[in-house]
Amino acid sequence: MVADADFWLTQFLNGMQLSMLLFLLSIGLTIIFGLMHFVNLAHGALYMVGAYVGVSAAASLGNFWLALIAAPLAVTIVGIFLYVAVIRRMRRAGPMNQVLVTFGLIFVLVDLVRILWGDIALGMEQPAILSGPAEIFGVSYPAYRLFIIAVGLVVMVALSLVLSRTQIGAMVRAGVENDAMASCLGINVERLFFAVFCVGCALAGLAGAVAAPVFSATPSMATDILIPTLIVVVIGGLGSLGGAIVGSLIIGFIQTFGAVVLPGFASVLVYVLLAIVLIAKPAGLLPARS
Amino acid sequence: MLEVRDLHAGYGETQVIHGVDLTVDEGRFHAILGRNGVGKTTTLKTIVGLLPSFSGEVMFDGASVSRSRPFDIARMGIAYVPETRDVFGSLSVLENLRLAARLAAGTDCKWTVERVFNFFPNLASRRDNGGNQLSGGEQQMLAIGRALVMNPKLLILDEPTEGLAPIVVRQIFDKLKELKGEGMTMLLVEQNFHFATRLADTASVFGRGKCVWSGTCEALRADEDLHRQWLGV
Repeated sequence: MVADADFWLTQFLNGMQLSMLLFLLSIGLTIIFGLMHFVNLAHGALYMVGAYVGVSAAASLGNFWLALIAAPLAVTIVGIFLYVAVIRRMRRAGPMNQVLVTFGLIFVLVDLVRILWGDIALGMEQPAILSGPAEIFGVSYPAYRLFIIAVGLVVMVALSLVLSRTQIGAMVRAGVENDAMASCLGINVERLFFAVFCVGCALAGLAGAVAAPVFSATPSMATDILIPTLIVVVIGGLGSLGGAIVGSLIIGFIQTFGAVVLPGFASVLVYVLLAIVLIAKPAGLLPARS
Repeated sequence: MLEVRDLHAGYGETQVIHGVDLTVDEGRFHAILGRNGVGKTTTLKTIVGLLPSFSGEVMFDGASVSRSRPFDIARMGIAYVPETRDVFGSLSVLENLRLAARLAAGTDCKWTVERVFNFFPNLASRRDNGGNQLSGGEQQMLAIGRALVMNPKLLILDEPTEGLAPIVVRQIFDKLKELKGEGMTMLLVEQNFHFATRLADTASVFGRGKCVWSGTCEALRADEDLHRQWLGV
């Protein structure tokens, strides 16, 4: 295949865009995992709910930016409901039960979405200001997709600063590393977990709403995004921001470039990589606990 | 200040302590001695709420804390320095201390982060290092410093000398003596008989999951039969 620099730059931006969506999802999942050893398979379903709420909010409010606020809020409310009704009771039930229950929640949420919105793909209009192509390094690329990359980078920087510079960030890192000791210092780790869980839900909702104009909202997005997100969490290392960043970039780029360079093997490549990481570094590339 | 009555506890289904009684009076330094596996650490973990008690009672400052969660117990004024030290490796020395100082923030407190740095000058020079970059002795100092900035009413230490070089053990000894001089109420678990009995006012000897003897450290030092039977020294 002969391709020029423009082609590769476009692929690079596609890879970045996928990586940023994966990051927005995996960061919440990995910290919840790391902090409370809780497996929430329904995280991908929250992404789907975010997309549908975004579509409806944009249509009814007529404003893309309000939809971008409404979706994370709505998904956080759904998350709080799940926490109170289900997750809080499952905290000490062990990983297998948690996997089964949160796996079941996927079907519940997907069917609720089917009932409320129907079983068809719903599109969402891009804001006028981002609807055209943009010039970047001499390449024409959709402005909206650059916006997705920018949203991911902004969230990444903001979370890095909060985790590394603030007292709350230190509490989260301490809780991920050793929750028993953190509680002996007077930290209510369960409340901290709840706060982190809400932020994770909000980011999943944001990711869904941001993705909807490009990929449309469909019920299958709940499970389509779940597997790569889980792979990011495992490859990066549970509970680690750095791991979520590195893992998202690796998976985003392997999926994108794999589809171009080795079309027949693209879907296998990610699993090969997963196997290699699990053999070489079972705790992930940048585990939070050393 | 601390009153443990007929405490039964353990890990999961496995009971380790079978009716521990223990009293620590305000301003006193109490040591728990005993061989490995007699339930010393289990008793401490149950007091601070990390392990549930099967039965019996833990009273602190006149209130029962047997059913309280660890962070409530910490907020009531019990600071715990575990055997494994458990400093946060991914946090800097300063962050470790600030995290613990959060509890006492706003109140007029004796122990500040700066005072801990004066108390343990080694830590001051390592303030920006990660907890995982410290030597064993520095980790122990950080674990103690972290407990102090909580400005606790009761300081609980589990084997602070374990695995440390004699010169570091000496340093820790001097620092605990200084704390005792200030009137800090302390509960210490130790295998090192001389370290413990030279510091403490009173002691309990544990055997087979309960307290088999308690009294003053002078009496303990004099009682050779007691050593042979329960301490093996």
